Amino acid sequence: MTQLPSAPPPAVRFEGVTVAYDGSPALEEVTLEIPAGALVGVIGPNGSGKTTFLKAILGLVPPVQGRIFVGEECCHHLKRIRREIGYVPQASRVDPHAPFRVLDVVLMGLYPGLGPLRRPGREGRRKALAVLEAVGMEGFALRPAGRLSGGQLQRVAIARALVRDPRILLLDEPFTGLDVRSQHAVLDLVVRTHRGRGLTTILVTHDVNLVYPHLDRVLALNRRVYAYGPPQEALVRETLERMYGAEVQVHEAEGRPFVFAGDHHHG
Amino acid sequence: MGEMFSYAFVQRALLASLLVGTACSLVGVFVVLRGLAFIGAGIAHAAFGGVALGFLLGWNPLVTAVGFCAATAGAIHATSQAGRIRMDASIGIFYALTMALGILFVGLMKTYDARLYGYLFGNILSVTTTDLRIISALTAVVAAVVAVFFKEFQLLSFDPEVAEALGLPAGRYSFVMLLLVSLTIVLSLDAVGILLVFALIVTPASAAYQLTYDYRALFGLSILFGNLSCFLGLVLSYGLDVPSGATIVLTATGLFFVCLALSPKRRGGRP
Repeated sequence: MTQLPSAPPPAVRFEGVTVAYDGSPALEEVTLEIPAGALVGVIGPNGSGKTTFLKAILGLVPPVQGRIFVGEECCHHLKRIRREIGYVPQASRVDPHAPFRVLDVVLMGLYPGLGPLRRPGREGRRKALAVLEAVGMEGFALRPAGRLSGGQLQRVAIARALVRDPRILLLDEPFTGLDVRSQHAVLDLVVRTHRGRGLTTILVTHDVNLVYPHLDRVLALNRRVYAYGPPQEALVRETLERMYGAEVQVHEAEGRPFVFAGDHHHG
Repeated sequence: MGEMFSYAFVQRALLASLLVGTACSLVGVFVVLRGLAFIGAGIAHAAFGGVALGFLLGWNPLVTAVGFCAATAGAIHATSQAGRIRMDASIGIFYALTMALGILFVGLMKTYDARLYGYLFGNILSVTTTDLRIISALTAVVAAVVAVFFKEFQLLSFDPEVAEALGLPAGRYSFVMLLLVSLTIVLSLDAVGILLVFALIVTPASAAYQLTYDYRALFGLSILFGNLSCFLGLVLSYGLDVPSGATIVLTATGLFFVCLALSPKRRGGRP
């Protein structure tokens, strides 16, 4: 990818990055740039390193080889940058009886940025209530978080990511476990947030058909990068078949491709 | 009933139990939320090894036990962080090891010292002024640490993985929390004994958990139940002329079941 001299620096840059768990690589030789303000979808089969890709950006899994830049920061500085990244982890259940109210959960997004003893204060609460309104959860501030539905929890997790005014938003499988209506509502929220704030957004999903009409770029990932580019270029049958190691059908409907892929390796 | 409080030993017992009750109820909230009850039991028994080592070497048993338990907490933490085995298995290994070391140290001693067991099964009615000083300092330290790291511990109690991903050094804070629990257990043992320490850590916080969805209120209610159990337990044990430590434990347990019965969570109701 050539970069115009006037272009702003990329939000994220991977230079020959290899990440391994106990010696077996989860990411291999990943080199790419994510431009500031882009909405990028990361697709790939289960266990293909999609979550590892996000964790690498967060500095949670240091590369055994290569370098990762977030803005100007690199390497062990990513730990500090983590506080400026909005991260929506894969949905985990909250104990229905747990003593955490929605407002508290949103405020937690601010905690790591403040030192010990310091509290978010009135300004923090105002911000938290504002993002709760932005995600359509303004009436739920004092509800126990464990009492929310999956879709509502996902909105709260997004609010917790947004309350810190992040430079990048990372979402890991934000639609998993949601019913179709909630999936579209969460997607709509992500797209609106991305556009409204010009926020660099990286979204991991196995449901490519749901998201790609909104994506600037698709990253097809299965340990290595199989394709990275605009959806029309990345979503071609041969590439996807190599990546999934299975038969893939790409159908045209209403002027856009639909991808049908097996999540299994044959042989 | 009022005349019981004119005795100095009753006054000391009451003050000691309220102080220990406060410290234990505070750390008890973390123990209940993070599922640390087993590690608490492990640390409490590790204290036996520490006290025995102190007697064997002629060092101050309490100081030795604090160091020994901190080392045990560190070993449990490091072993589980290494990730090869589950946390409870790691606790189990050190639970058995430190007990075995305690027995070994006792066996190596030329003379039998009855005070050894006093450190583990201390009696609330025989609390000394020195005990009171130690317990006061402990309670102040616990309250201060909880106040300083209040929101960090809240985030950690919510979800350690989320905490780490949001940028909190979760491992470090987990260890601070573990040290705080260990310190509370060891320093309370001498005054009130293993059984009462453990009951005051787990039971009042569990009772409070039944009644609220609010994190801050959880601490308030836990302290209230902890202190109420100590006060009522002492009064009852005096009035009925029965052992005081056991009566405090029974009172706390009774309060827990009352809270369980009244819990809005049990009926699936709204807060």
